[in-house]
Amino acid sequence: MIPFTRHLKLGVGVLCGLALCAGAAQAPQHIDIKQLSATVEDVVVPLPNEIFGALNKLGAVNWKQHVRSDKGPNFTERPRIALLLGTVIADGFIAVQAEDAEAVKEIGQRVLTLAKGIGVGNSITPHAKAIIEAADKRNWENVRRELDRTQNSVQQAMNEVHDEKLSQLVSLGGWLRGTEVLTSVVKDHFSSDGAELLHQPDLLSYFQTRLQAMPEFNLPIIRQIQDALVEVKPLIDVGDRRIPPESVKKVNEITTRLGHGIITRD
Amino acid sequence: MFQTSSLLFVLVALQPAIFASVDDAQAFALQAAEPYVKEGFQVREDYWGGDLGSGEKKAVRQQLFKGNEYWFWLGTEVDRAKVSVHVYDSDGKLAEEPDGWEKGHFAAAHVIPKATGSYFIIVSVEQSPEERTHWALVYGFR
Repeated sequence: MIPFTRHLKLGVGVLCGLALCAGAAQAPQHIDIKQLSATVEDVVVPLPNEIFGALNKLGAVNWKQHVRSDKGPNFTERPRIALLLGTVIADGFIAVQAEDAEAVKEIGQRVLTLAKGIGVGNSITPHAKAIIEAADKRNWENVRRELDRTQNSVQQAMNEVHDEKLSQLVSLGGWLRGTEVLTSVVKDHFSSDGAELLHQPDLLSYFQTRLQAMPEFNLPIIRQIQDALVEVKPLIDVGDRRIPPESVKKVNEITTRLGHGIITRD
Repeated sequence: MFQTSSLLFVLVALQPAIFASVDDAQAFALQAAEPYVKEGFQVREDYWGGDLGSGEKKAVRQQLFKGNEYWFWLGTEVDRAKVSVHVYDSDGKLAEEPDGWEKGHFAAAHVIPKATGSYFIIVSVEQSPEERTHWALVYGFR
């Protein structure tokens, strides 16, 4: 006959085992998305880096071809500066992909100048310095991290002074530049997997909604972007179907035109 | 003397509520992410956060790219809370790898997207001793 204490220990052991098994509850295999859609939090806009990483995996990319570190004009309108800032930060990620230290350093300086132009220079100075130092050491991981921190710091600084709309324009500028380069690469070396990276209809809708809430930024470039997003949407909102080469080419034309508009005085 | 002692007692008792914040939760989420940085994951500076009641869920939507690999890490500073995070595709189908984990007030989900598109990340405070529990969700990719 088994003593009572052994029964007790066995029972406790079984209970503990069951508790451990129950610790990681199974997630339901399916959920009703329609129910969720109305209560979904804002997206975190992907960095151009995420797209570039996925592109790299599809085959070698000549990143040097896309490096751009021109000084560009100095704008006074804050929405224009915000768009340009996002674009220039994206250029930083491109220069990192190309491992072009000089371009990264020039871009670091440019980012600081633009940040000062919209009144958030103080929060960017340490990041700009870190970008330049990391580029000198060819520490590309650190450059990427500091570019992300730069964008985040700019946006946080803007949000703190209730300039959320400018913060969103920074993200938009970066997204447009990233999409311009993505479509340029895929246009020249088409693949379905490459084209699929354009499948971002919800992100595009997010930007459209944000722009609609900015009527006070009555600038030609903002209106051009709004019109362009309407043009782009059906080209990338294809559900399960593939995005064809003609659509990639068209999106590239549109984003290249917008990119030129962002860096050029009217 | 008695009043001072009472005030001190109240302050100590309320300390978690006074100093708890989404920033604190973010620090815990980043703690969960740290070992993955050494494996090559780039952890984003931007993140989601908020507060939930015990048993409540929240959805965030995120654009993910096929070819990348992602982890989402959830944290809260309420160390007796139990949290979970799960990822679904735009059809509502569970889209995560089986090696996600939950350890009390930390949880993580691993996604290797089969398609580029929007995914829903469901954050849940399964249990908590606090009425409202601050949470933060960060993500990384490689």
